[in-house]
Amino acid sequence: MSIAAEELGEVYEKKVLDKLSDAVIGGFVKIAETLRPGWYRRNKSRVDEWRLMAYAFNRSPPGIIGMLLVLGFVLVALVGPYVAPFRYDTPLQFFDQNSYLAPPGTVISVPNSTLAQNFGIKPGNYTLLLGGDDYGRDLWSRILYGARTSFVVAILVMMVGPWIGIAIGLIAGYYGGKIDELLMRITDVFLAFPGLILAIAFSAVLPPRISAFLESHATIRSLLLTLFALEEQHAGAMAYLVSVVVALWLVWWPGYARLVRGSVLSARENLYVEAARALGVPTRWIMIRHILPNILGPVLVYLTLDFGGVILTEAGLSFLGVGAVPPIADWGRIVYDGANFFPNAWWLVFFPGLATLLAVLGFNLIGDTLRDVLDPKTRRSLEFKLKKREEVVEGE
Amino acid sequence: MSSCDPIIEVKNLYVNFYTYAGVVKAIDGVSFRICRGETYCLVGETGCGKSVTAKSLTRLIRSPGRIEKGSVIYYRDGKPVDLLKLGEEELREIRGAEISYIFQDPSSSLDPLYTIGYQVAETMKEHGRVASIKEGIRRAVDILRTVLMPDPETRVKNYPHELSGGMKQRGVIGISLSNKPRLVIADEPTTALDATVQDQIMDLLKKLKAEEDLTVLLITHNMGLVADMCDRVAVMYAGRIVEEADVFELFANPKHPYTQALLRAVPNPMKRMDKLESIPGTVPNLIFPPSGCRFHPRCPFAMDICSRERPPDLEVAPGHRVACWLYTEHGGR
Repeated sequence: MSIAAEELGEVYEKKVLDKLSDAVIGGFVKIAETLRPGWYRRNKSRVDEWRLMAYAFNRSPPGIIGMLLVLGFVLVALVGPYVAPFRYDTPLQFFDQNSYLAPPGTVISVPNSTLAQNFGIKPGNYTLLLGGDDYGRDLWSRILYGARTSFVVAILVMMVGPWIGIAIGLIAGYYGGKIDELLMRITDVFLAFPGLILAIAFSAVLPPRISAFLESHATIRSLLLTLFALEEQHAGAMAYLVSVVVALWLVWWPGYARLVRGSVLSARENLYVEAARALGVPTRWIMIRHILPNILGPVLVYLTLDFGGVILTEAGLSFLGVGAVPPIADWGRIVYDGANFFPNAWWLVFFPGLATLLAVLGFNLIGDTLRDVLDPKTRRSLEFKLKKREEVVEGE
Repeated sequence: MSSCDPIIEVKNLYVNFYTYAGVVKAIDGVSFRICRGETYCLVGETGCGKSVTAKSLTRLIRSPGRIEKGSVIYYRDGKPVDLLKLGEEELREIRGAEISYIFQDPSSSLDPLYTIGYQVAETMKEHGRVASIKEGIRRAVDILRTVLMPDPETRVKNYPHELSGGMKQRGVIGISLSNKPRLVIADEPTTALDATVQDQIMDLLKKLKAEEDLTVLLITHNMGLVADMCDRVAVMYAGRIVEEADVFELFANPKHPYTQALLRAVPNPMKRMDKLESIPGTVPNLIFPPSGCRFHPRCPFAMDICSRERPPDLEVAPGHRVACWLYTEHGGR
């Protein structure tokens, strides 16, 4: 068989990962089929595309590395706060002086005392895996909590910011003329300022207002506290984090507005858009149902790439001292605070920096790979190779 | 055509396109009238303004194009309304529901992301014929059956790429007719299809026209189609209607030199000929259109006055209109 395969040139052979994705997609199909009988028959072509997308993804080593990094990041963000050995604000210095700027691997012992009970720590010996900071807080725990902070900030920003830009881009691109001119000049003004500077300005002004807002809205406050895995008494500090989110909403849209407008300009010339207009379909409907889905490919790639960008910017803001405030665990803030003790306590800068690097790298690698995966041509060539392979197998 | 109950009347339409190269005078004073129940044809070569005229009827021209002046009177239940002065929302209600379009290329006039059933349902929902997309998709099966789509129950769930060209055009016709329009504007509906399918689609249009009591405005450059389908024909050249007549009259007794040349250029399988005749010269550049009669640089009978003044519309026989100096005292014919 292998000889025949070589003769045919490039033949796609399913690997372990492909079988894994087959199994995942198969499982999903089974669930859908049980919930709504006949689903698979109706959506067969869609499922086949998913499968091909998965194969295309599996063929890209950077994509797989990115996927692993991102999965790791998301996993840590979700369960990190529950598996962390200590809370983000537990000052171990109270129990063992050794924990002050402890290098990685230091063993500390917590005696049995009422104080320890108040902090909910069982007495015994602990290893500080990544060391401790100037309050004797466990760096490993703080990095785990920091993943949650970054993740939630990124999600909250992504849920609003880009969509403002997408809406503006759609309107500008579709209507054209004066509306386009006006909206795009506003976009230019926002783009002319470096986003970071603008975000600094916003996050410096916003906290008092956000703080007042959070005080008067108990539900939103407790929801956000749960999301960020923070304790009730740190709601005030959280206001600064929320300000960063709002600041990023305000500066995160111009890129999307430009990208979407450009795509809309070409998408609106499609005959089916004109046909829809000629048949009396309202403009709003045309924009949402016929233009947006047809330009979603590049937007999706940009969104994924940008996820890393948000994490980086948020860490950057915190590093500059306008983002998260102590005692909130935030990667940028840990680096900022740790910089005072650099290079003696290098771990305070190195490990949170490494965590940021890996998370951002992961999203970038995935975004790059998605660009290929979302290209129908990649999928068609894969399909072709798969068919060839089937022929080879049948010819056995 | 003795009595005419008009459904739409175009008067003195001017459309310009403002491009970087200059102002393209695409439509230059076009007037015509379509009677209820007839098939009216617009013929002419590529770029003569047929499609622009069709799109102007419901103001589908977008920037850089602009309708400069003129009026499009649509007789809505007997009441005349000027479509060019109507509000955008009212016009939207007319588009698709009363005046509907069938476009040239079925593969690009369907959105690749939705099933054909969804696309039929969508227009029906927007015009309030069905309460939901789901109900619309159920109704779509019947509509696809009337346009003779094979196996409509399955096809409803197919995406455009899963259908053949002919099926797609049937789908497009189905979408277009789903709201029971009065006037259907078919803009070269068969250009993208091969000859056999073309024939089937034309038969379908004829059948539907009889069944649904439609008025059809057919735009084409295919003289065979004109002879087959139309009741009355208007010949367009460089943004103007040069001749309008009953289809039999036009083929038997073409008056305008352009029409005559056009008909001679259609190959006749019954006659032996050495070389296919063509019209000398090329289509004029409409940024700097020829003065006077726009056909005069290519016209074998051109006279002095042709390059100076625009020819008047003359009624040479009942219902036979021609814009040519030859039939005035200047031409002496």
